[in-house]
Amino acid sequence: MAKKISAMDIYKLLPKINCKKCGESSCMAFATKLQERKASLDQCPVLKSPKFEKNRKKLEELLSPPVKEVWFGYKDRKAILGGEEVMYRYELTFFNPTAIGVDISDKLSEEEIRRRAKFIEDFFFERTGEKLKLDFIALRNASDDPERFVRALEIIQESTKVPVALCSLNVESIERALDVVKSKPLIYAVTEQNFPEMMKMLISKKKDKKDFAVVLSSSNIKTLKGMVKASLSHGIEDLVLDPHTTPENIMDTLDRFVMIRRSAIERGDKLLGYPILGLPINTYFYVLSGNNPIGQFVKELDKAAAIMEASAACAMLNRYADGIIIHGTEIWELMPILTLRQAIYTDPRKPQAVEPGLYPIGNPDENSPVIMTTNFSLTFYTVTGDFEKDGVTCWLLVMDTEGKAVDVAVAGGQYCGENAKKLIEETKIGEKVNHRIIILPGLAAPVRGDIEEKTGWTCVVGTRDSSQVGEFLRKNWNRILEEWRAKQGSGN
Amino acid sequence: MGLDEVFELVKKTNRVKIDSIEITANEIVINIPTISPISIPQTPPIRESIRRIISPEEPRIEIPEVDWEPPVEKYKGYIREVQFGRPKSEGGRGKVIKIGGQRALYRFEEVQPNPPVVTFDIFDMPMPGLPKPVREYFQDVMEDPVEWAKKCVREFNADMVTIHHISTDPKIKDTSPREAARLMEDLLQAVDVPFVIGGSGDPKKDPLVLEACAQVTEGERCLLASANLDLDYKRVADAAMRYDHNVLSWTIMDPNMARDLNRRLISHGLDGDRIVMDPTTCSLGYGIEFSINAMTRLRLAGLKGDELVNMPMSSGTTNAIGAREAWMAKPEWGDRRYRLPLWEITTGLTMLLCGVDLFMMLHPLSATVIKEFGRLLVSKPGKIEVSSDNYQWIKA
Repeated sequence: MAKKISAMDIYKLLPKINCKKCGESSCMAFATKLQERKASLDQCPVLKSPKFEKNRKKLEELLSPPVKEVWFGYKDRKAILGGEEVMYRYELTFFNPTAIGVDISDKLSEEEIRRRAKFIEDFFFERTGEKLKLDFIALRNASDDPERFVRALEIIQESTKVPVALCSLNVESIERALDVVKSKPLIYAVTEQNFPEMMKMLISKKKDKKDFAVVLSSSNIKTLKGMVKASLSHGIEDLVLDPHTTPENIMDTLDRFVMIRRSAIERGDKLLGYPILGLPINTYFYVLSGNNPIGQFVKELDKAAAIMEASAACAMLNRYADGIIIHGTEIWELMPILTLRQAIYTDPRKPQAVEPGLYPIGNPDENSPVIMTTNFSLTFYTVTGDFEKDGVTCWLLVMDTEGKAVDVAVAGGQYCGENAKKLIEETKIGEKVNHRIIILPGLAAPVRGDIEEKTGWTCVVGTRDSSQVGEFLRKNWNRILEEWRAKQGSGN
Repeated sequence: MGLDEVFELVKKTNRVKIDSIEITANEIVINIPTISPISIPQTPPIRESIRRIISPEEPRIEIPEVDWEPPVEKYKGYIREVQFGRPKSEGGRGKVIKIGGQRALYRFEEVQPNPPVVTFDIFDMPMPGLPKPVREYFQDVMEDPVEWAKKCVREFNADMVTIHHISTDPKIKDTSPREAARLMEDLLQAVDVPFVIGGSGDPKKDPLVLEACAQVTEGERCLLASANLDLDYKRVADAAMRYDHNVLSWTIMDPNMARDLNRRLISHGLDGDRIVMDPTTCSLGYGIEFSINAMTRLRLAGLKGDELVNMPMSSGTTNAIGAREAWMAKPEWGDRRYRLPLWEITTGLTMLLCGVDLFMMLHPLSATVIKEFGRLLVSKPGKIEVSSDNYQWIKA
């Protein structure tokens, strides 16, 4: 990790008047939030006054991450790249999930362009209560014709509101597209070959107040760094780096990603402190053209291309890619990419918790068992995963244990009678079943008495592991239910 | 305006801005008081460039030279090298596999000496519960673990084979350790690759099964899976020491726990070079981020010189197939024939990039992709020729 800035360093530059307008109780509290990147300078109205301009500049400098945050798209629908602070997620967290772009060729028919754009805008895969989405359209100038490029952009803008990357090496195509684009685009790409011409055009557009982000592209990191220096000297500062994706050997590409990121974060190289763009789409077309390393198992080239493209994408997600462009859109290809991204960008500082409450598993009815677990994510997903695999049908009560696992929560006192009572009342589980039995995890045996006492429900200690629950219920549930009913009957 | 007049102007104002200038002479010397003398020979290209420099509308744009060195780290420590199998020259069956031996974290720092290795899971009894996209490859050999092992090696290029003696589970068939050992002998005859020997997961029975199997495979340098804190790990370590094997040290995603178990095994007498760590692989979507953290921390600690965690690592990548996103037949999730292996590939690749050396896998396609990435991982940077154009995709 790069040098650590203390909250005190930040506090010294704040107004120190504790006006609370930022929403925090004091300037010191605000400083702490800023340091953890849980607040932004914009929240402080006082800093906006001319008197504090100098301090604000200093604070911006102090708080800017070693990898610059670059955005493109619309004000209310952005693709945000970079902004990273660390090499390894356990050191803090990774901030902006890799932006995933899908290509659209300007050679497609208008109808096809519209349909693909709409697909990219609407697509989502829902997982653990979160809608995982695609982030941008990479419009590529396959025709090399500026006319068609602009027309395709117009169609996309008419039918969708998705951030767009304008991809062409043709200076005229980019120039014309910049005249009609309605959002802040990402421009792909300034290369070693087109550098003077493309830069010249971009500089003049910049002077006309056109806003855009630019991809600089070279397989040589030193050259890339030089390109950054030149861009900055001309006032073009929203940069993204493309150190080339080589499908013959993706490891060379991954090495370059790591070298760029390590230079920025561990060596403090400001000129390489920019987001990285990966091109799994190169792998796709490479395999599609006949280089199929999995031909023994998958003969269809488009399927093999999608599998290898997804593999390249997943490798890049593990190696600092802040943005990627892909071609394949089959759901089975997108699912693992999106799920991996969700995992890598989960904030390890937050307790890994799911929403407490009642979760029906399978299609439970009034005779189904009630099982009570914790809201520790991993516990929850293991349990629900096991239940689904084993065909368990039940009502799953998920207790708020502050994201602690069963054994930890039993020891820590969160998995207890009081919380169980609250959960039963809030979920109204009593109205959904015609019995009063809760099955507890084996590890919760010590608190059985407490829970029975506070809730009035009968507790049965189940298995130690959720993978055994299916068998346990098949063997025992009917008997447990009958015994309970018999007891109720005799009691009345 | 003549030159003399310009110089007069410069003398008075100390600066002058020229918007366009044309100079014709054989050689001129311009003496501007505040600037050192420059001599300009009259050649057209220079005249051209003078024009460009002084025109504010046309900034000169080129890529400047900058300094940059690849950020290579020095590591105090190293990763131990563990060997499976015994060469024919020493009376073994032939195939020898080595894992580990890294001296750096990344390939551009120093290429690791041994490629990642895939060991195919097989079972000592039919597994009708395996998802169809896996079963279709092994349906014909499921009744016979010996044929199963042969198929993995011959058709799917397995580096190693993991035999899970799950029928020894008292709740399943309660097969005796002796029977498991007999199967082990048959397997040794059938294929020449090294073995990972697994029990059923029953903490009481496993040490007995592993011990019996270790005995009949003496000297073959198998990997006994596993020693963990829930069972009599000393017995497993003893079997490895007595019969010349390696031990899989299995813990649950906690680097400190991994360190603790390794310390116990070593202080019991097991050579640290006979340990492979398994810090648990959670499937993609089911806590893989915990595995990422654990593996990364262990590898970094090892390279920094912690000799209690500098062992090569193993991943139960097959766990990925237990995720419903992998095995479940659900039309809106697309074709399971691709979805299932890709889920396992994604899990495996993530572990590969966290430093894992040994992959226990089930689907032959997933294994092939992991091995392909492994082949590239141990290639020297720049050695594999790249002829593709990075911008081809724009026009494809």
